This record gives sequence, structure tokens and C-alpha cells, in this order.
Amino acid sequence: MMKRFFLLVLISFVFSSGCSKKESLLTFAVGGAPNEVDYWEKLIGEFENRTHIRVKLLRQPTDTDIRRQSLVTPLNAKEKDPDLFLMDVAWIAQFAASGWLLPMDPYVKKDSFDTTQLFGSVVHQVDIYKGEIISMPVYIDCGLLYFRRDLLKKYGYSTPKTWDDLLQCAEKIQGKERKNNSGFFGFVWQGAQYEGLVCNFIEFIASNGGNIVSKAGSITVYSKENIQALQFMRNLIHKYQISPPNTFTEMREEEVRTFFENGNALFERNWPYAWKLHNSQGSPVRGKVGITLLPKFDNGRHAASLGGWHIGISRYSDKKDEAWELVKFILSYETQKKLCLNLSWNPARIDIYDDPEVKEKMPHMEVLKKAFESTVARPNSPYYTQVSELLQRYVNAAISGKIEPNEALKEAQRGIEKIVERYHE
Amino acid sequence: MKEERIKRILLTLGILFVIVFCLLPFAWMVAVSFSETPDFLIRGNYGFTIKNYLDILRLENLHFLDYLKNSLLVSGIVAIFSALIGALAAYAVSRLSFPGKVVIVLSVLALSMFPQISVVGYLYKFMSNIGWINTYNAMIFPYVAFSLPLAFWMLMSYFSQIPKEIDDAALVDGANRFQTLVRVILPITLPGFLSAILLLFMFSFNEFLFALMLTTDFRARTVPVGIALFQGLHGELPWGYIMAASAISSIPVILIALFFQRRIIQGLTRGAVKQ
Amino acid sequence: MNREIREAFFFILPLGIFVLLLMLLPVIGSFWISLWQDVSFLPRKFTGLGNYFRLFKDFQFWQSAGFTLIFSFASVTLEMVAGTIIALVLNESFRFRGIMRGTALLPWAIPSVIGARIWQLIYRYDYGLANYVLRGTSGLSVNWLGSSGGAFLSLVLADSWRTTPFVAIILLAGLQSVPQGLYEQAKIDGANLFQRFFKVTLPVIKPVVIVALIFRTIDALRVFDIIYVITGGGPGGFTTSVSLYSYKYFLLGDFGYGSTVSIFLFIIAFTVAFLYIRAGRFREAAL
Repeated sequence: MMKRFFLLVLISFVFSSGCSKKESLLTFAVGGAPNEVDYWEKLIGEFENRTHIRVKLLRQPTDTDIRRQSLVTPLNAKEKDPDLFLMDVAWIAQFAASGWLLPMDPYVKKDSFDTTQLFGSVVHQVDIYKGEIISMPVYIDCGLLYFRRDLLKKYGYSTPKTWDDLLQCAEKIQGKERKNNSGFFGFVWQGAQYEGLVCNFIEFIASNGGNIVSKAGSITVYSKENIQALQFMRNLIHKYQISPPNTFTEMREEEVRTFFENGNALFERNWPYAWKLHNSQGSPVRGKVGITLLPKFDNGRHAASLGGWHIGISRYSDKKDEAWELVKFILSYETQKKLCLNLSWNPARIDIYDDPEVKEKMPHMEVLKKAFESTVARPNSPYYTQVSELLQRYVNAAISGKIEPNEALKEAQRGIEKIVERYHE
Repeated sequence: MKEERIKRILLTLGILFVIVFCLLPFAWMVAVSFSETPDFLIRGNYGFTIKNYLDILRLENLHFLDYLKNSLLVSGIVAIFSALIGALAAYAVSRLSFPGKVVIVLSVLALSMFPQISVVGYLYKFMSNIGWINTYNAMIFPYVAFSLPLAFWMLMSYFSQIPKEIDDAALVDGANRFQTLVRVILPITLPGFLSAILLLFMFSFNEFLFALMLTTDFRARTVPVGIALFQGLHGELPWGYIMAASAISSIPVILIALFFQRRIIQGLTRGAVKQ
Repeated sequence: MNREIREAFFFILPLGIFVLLLMLLPVIGSFWISLWQDVSFLPRKFTGLGNYFRLFKDFQFWQSAGFTLIFSFASVTLEMVAGTIIALVLNESFRFRGIMRGTALLPWAIPSVIGARIWQLIYRYDYGLANYVLRGTSGLSVNWLGSSGGAFLSLVLADSWRTTPFVAIILLAGLQSVPQGLYEQAKIDGANLFQRFFKVTLPVIKPVVIVALIFRTIDALRVFDIIYVITGGGPGGFTTSVSLYSYKYFLLGDFGYGSTVSIFLFIIAFTVAFLYIRAGRFREAAL
């Protein structure tokens, strides 16, 4: 009797494990705004038709941290799915150092794939680890300033070049616009405690002549310029009040984009992807938006965080050859151009920028090209996530008004030194 | 008589408090789930729609139905196994005499206080090594273990209400202990046993941390993880979808809570308040 | 006699195996991991108690430990008060009492993540319900999740909402065990409604209160779900509970330190449980 019972238990467990058998498809993890993921699905369809390789698209959230989390979990566990995935620039060092990425050199050689078509500086900075190509750029991102052309014109302002310009202009127009729209704010940006905040932070400090100095074995954030810039970020919310009070709790890319898109803001800091959406059918700000470089302080320069997404193949994939086929497809001229035209992404291929159709339909690419010349990279180290997490916490605490900027960066510096000491090999 | 009136007023206030406190958030969830936009409060127009419900049921790439299926299967399996295994142990403790009984009872009580986070790191590595990440098994086994204390305590209290003479009669008739449990005790305590299963079902249905750590996609991911990570699947938090998904997922447990409230209350209190 | 012991052994064996393999072994395993430098991108290295020394010097950790304690204290207190009110109401006889009891169970019945999502939207700054009501009544908008105090209160409230039913049910069972005779006697002695509650009801249900306290305190100490969803530990890391802190290290790829934090929580939870169990005289109750 007892035996039969245990047998029953055993059988049921075997049965239950049978329930979740893993399908054998090429799985590709992609996240992003809804229209982006939808477009990926379309592209994948074309790829399937052409190659007869079946692909399962794993939709990931927009939120970068959660995207990383849902890749780290299977990779750490040496799972064979997902086979390939998009990675934020900032994660690549960790993924590479952890040995999760498959070197692509053999494939590159076999198919004589021309990597010189891609942005060389980016590839060198990010995609090569210990002499091997472990990822490829898919598109390149950088921070931009979006503004309401119509409102600037209405009140007779020109495009701001410095933060001072922006401040004056925003304060004035915000006051006037508030009469009709009590929820109107001068400037929206990403201040929630997440990776995007670090990107914003880097732009503010670099535009003030500051930086996060990252050398082998040391990372420095505590400097006079950085403190000033952080103070300014905080003032935007609390002193000048041209940025909404939920900036440091809820404002991420999509919150900022919709806020601006609903006509509730004059200026917006966002990535290039917002351009297409702002100008899409049904957008209240359609045709009223302009873009330019982010402003600078008197003693600084225009600065834009280098972002962008790179594609990597998992070392544990059981479909490496098929995965490489998809990589090639995504980096082809055709696909890159489509991504550019349909999602307004900055292609990783240089030749697209000279494409006549692209030039005609996307005149703003000119601005983007200029913005690329002023990009600032985040520290490129395997423990960057730890550093970033700490920075997010302190920068967020500072802009929420909980601690003084000086104190925040001093503490952050101390924390970062501990991290480096612990994690630097 | 004055006191009666005070009491009446207090009671009415109390009932109001219970209703508002318990139901208002649900009303909010339902309201948002049926609205075209989650910001209807400041927009001023509600815009009734069932699109959110249709979408989460229809759009395959949201995987909501997968999550629901995973959740129901995993929780169902866990509830049954945990109840059976708990019943065996509870039977032994309430029926048989053996040394160290108190130690066992107390250790099971102590086990129910294990923080999940203290085991999840190791479990993750262990499940990775045997290739169980993102399978039902990865959840079923830990869930059974973690729900066993609850199963054990509830069933023990039911069993100990039954006079031992009933066992003795069956034993005299030639049944062994296991047969006595299955054929005599379980049928008598069937309502209690079923309510234990329901409670255990709710226990697993609600679990979050293990599922978060041990699953990676829709093939094994459960409803709580799905809803927690729904975040941004559609850019700005898709509140309409989140609330519609929440409403649908709440239905099974709400039904259980409403129809079996007496049994659940009994089960919970028997396990906890034993004097 | 001997046979009964053998039978008992086999009956308890399945439970024992599960508990041993999936609870005890993993805790020991976590402890073992905590003795190593176990970082995804660094060579694995035995460091002994190195992670524990780091823990004691880790300001962020102590901040999260402090938060977890205060959070547990506040939410358990609130739950006890609200739970008592609900239990007293449900203990009276009135029409639809059955439905009311079912209703009172609902917040506890649904998955905590769902409850957390609902509250997250209630607290939303621009179009959440809380600020809508506040604006309507006082013209103010509170940045619920943006300030330390606001986020703390929000979490306590959301957590209490979810767990009060549990407390109420346990207290209800206690209330039902109060002999009616005691009330009658107290009435004759001239005690009013409130005096009767404090002099008769409370002393009788004290053991039940302790049980509810134990379960809820331990549960609150390991809080994870609602914080993960509602604040994610923000603003500025202020609401990072110990569980969440540990989880974040797992995500960063540092299993050694994450395990160290989790083992620390284990020790705390167990100490509390041990103290309570001694105070609650479970030994007698168990028999």
C-alpha cells in the first residue's frame, strides 16, 4: 500500500516535469517600447520566410533593469534559451567577463563578414573583449533634447544652447502655459532610481566639464563639477520647479515620453526613439517637435550619453549557427535601413547615414550625427552594474532632496571605492 | 439601553470600515480594468471598454493565459501532494506514540518561519545544475516543502478531533495503518482535508520569490511574476492590462475565499490556535 | 511499541525528506555559498567569514536592516489594531455576516503581487486614487512614493491591508472562545462596553494575540513581494528590505554576499521565532 502511494507520487512528478518540456526554437529576447517589439516581430517573420529557421521572440519589458534581470537569470543557470538577445551597452562588460557570450570571430571569418561597416569606435570600445568579438552593435543611442517648436516660437525664444537659456525659457513659458494647463512643466527627464538616471547624470556632469573618471582599478565621481551639476538637477525639481515632483520616483523613458507627447512639457530629454512616436498619427505634438543637442554649462560641452543595444549569442545556446544567421540578418543593410526608417533608430552601420532615402525622410539624422560626436560612455567594467546601482541610489537621494549633493557624491565615492576594491580582479 | 445604542453605532461604523477597507482597492482595480485610460480620474471621462480583457486573453505575445495555466497547474499539484504528505505525518503524530514527538511538532512549526530568501540562492544554483530552471518541477518541489508545515498543522488539528477508538476498530478488522488513514480517517475528515487543499492551493498560487528566481519565461512563469514584470511590456505601465489580468487571476482565489470562508477560517485558526 | 515507532517513521519520512532536501539543505547550502567569493565574473575563492566582515561594515545593509525592523513593527502594530476591530465586528451577529466574513478575507486571499499592483496605482502621483481623494478634500497632492516617509507609510498601509484579514481571523477564533458567562458577570458588576473589552476580552484572547503576533512578525521581517513591486526599494534605497537587499546581490551576480545577507536574515527570523515560541508556551499547546 505504502509502496503504491510512493509510486503514485513519483509518477506524478515525472508527469509534471513532462508538462513543461522545452520547445526547440531559436529564441531571441527583445525588449523595448511596444511599437519596437511589434516591429521586431515583423522582421522576424521576414527572416523566417527567408531562412526557414523558426524563431520565438521573447518579449521583454522596456525597463532596462528588468531586461537585464531576465537575461542574467537564465545565463547564470547556463540555460540554452534564450539563444541570442539584445544587450544594453552597459551590461556587456559583465556578460563578457562572466563568460556568457559566444565569440563570433569564427563566424565572422567563415562568412567574411565586414565589421568595418559598423561604427568602429563603438565596436572597439564595447564589443571586443580580450581580443574577441563577443557582440555586435545593432543601434546606437544618445541623449537628445526634444523641444516644442510651436511654443518656443509663440513666446519668441530660440533653441537653448546652455542650461541657463533652458531654465529661463522654461520658467517663463511654464508660467504662461499653466494658465490653460495646470499640469504643464518646463522640462522632463529621467530621474527615477534606475539605469536611465545614470545616463542623465552623466550628461549633466559632462556638460559641466565633469566626468566619471574610470581607470583600471579606480572610478572617481567626487569632483566639484559633478557636485555643481547634481545640485542643478536637484534645483530643477525643487528650486525652479520646472520638472515635476515625481521626476525622481516615476520618470523613466516612457513616462517622460508620454508626458511630453500629451503636450504637458516644453523640453524633454530622451533617446532618439521618441522622435518617431512624437510624430506619429494621433500624437498631440505631431509636427511641433524639434530636436537638438542637450544644453551645456558655460564651462562645459554638449554631452550625450552613449547608449544603444548590442546583440550577443549565448555561449550555452544549442542553436549557435542559426543564431549567427539572425545576427547577420539584423546587421544587413536592408534590415538596418528598415529599423532606421520605421523606428527612427540610429543604425550601427555607417553606410545607412548616406542612404538617399534615409537622408530625405529623416532629416533629423543630421542632428544625431552631430550628437554622436559628443557622446560620453559609462564606465566599461564588469562590475559597472554595482557601481551604477550605488550611483543611482545616491543621485536619486540627492535629487529627491534627502541628502545634499556634496554629501551624496562623497558617500557614493566611498561606496564605489569599496566596490572596486572588492570586485576588481 | 444607551449602551445598546452605542454598540449599534459602533457596529455600523465597524461594518462600514470593513467594507471600505477591504473592498475599495478591489473596486479601483475593476474600475481601471474596464477603463480606456488609467488616468480617467483626472481626465474626467471614464470610457468604458472591455478591450483590456479581450487583449490579455487574445494577444498571445502577452502570454497571460500561459501564466495562468502554469499557476493553476503548479498550485493544484502542490496542494494535493502537500496535503497527502502532510496527512501522513499528521496521522503519525496524532495517532501513534513514539519518542521525540514534541520535537517534531515544534520543528515543523519553526520551519514555517524559514525566510524564503535564505534558501532561494542555493535552490537557484541547485536547479541550474540539474537543468530544472524554468520548469514546473523547480517550483513544485520547494512549494511542497514550504507548504508542508501549514498542511501538517491543519490536518493534525482535524485528525486529533477524531477518537482513536475508530482507528482501533479498523485495525482490529485487519487494516494496516495506511489503510486506516486512507479508508477511515480521511473520509471522516474529508471536508477538513479539502479545505486544507484549498488553502494550500492559495498558498502556492500567491508565491512570488521562488517563481521569480527559478523561472525565465512564459513556459513556466506564474501569474504573480507575470503581473509583477508586466511592467513596461507595453512601454508606460499598461495599467489596463495589469488590472484586467489581476482581476481574472483573482477570480479563483476570490471564489474559494467566498464560498469556503467558514472552512478556511476553521483551517487557519485550528492550525494556529490550538489550546 | 516497536512497530508503532517504525510505522511512525515511515509516515513522517516523506515530510522529512522534503523538509530536509528543500529547506534544511538549502539553508546549509546558502551558508556554504556565503563562505565563498562567488561572483559570476571573478574566480571562485574560499574567503571564510570574509563576507560576514563585509556585512558588518556595510552601511547600506544596516540601513536596510533598520528599515525592515521598523517596517515590521509599524505594520504589525497597525494590523493588530485593524484586525481587532474587524474581528470584533465579525464576532457580532448581524445579517449577511457570512458574506462579510468572506469579504474580509479577500485582501488576504489574492496574490500579494496583485495587491501591491493595486496599491501602486492608488499611490500614483498624477492620477492615483489617493491623491485624487486628497485633492478633492484638501487640495493637496502627496508624492506618496517619492519621499522616505511617504514611501514608508504607503508600504505599511499596503502590507497591512493584505495581512489584516489573517490577524482578524485568528483573533476572531479567540473571541469565540470567550465564555459568554464572563461578560454577563462583568455586566452585573457594572462594567461598560469598553471596560468589558479591556478587562474580560483581552486577557482571555491574549494567547491568540501572541500567536498572531508571531506569525505576522516573522512574515513581516522577510517582506519582499510588495516592496519589489511598489517601490523597488526606492526612493534612494530607503525602503530596501533585507530580503530585497539580498536579492539585488543575487541579480548583480554576487551570490556569496547575497547569501550572507540572507543567512543573516535567517538568524534574525529564527531568533525571533525562538523567543516567541518560548513565550507562547507552544510546548503545551502542541500536546
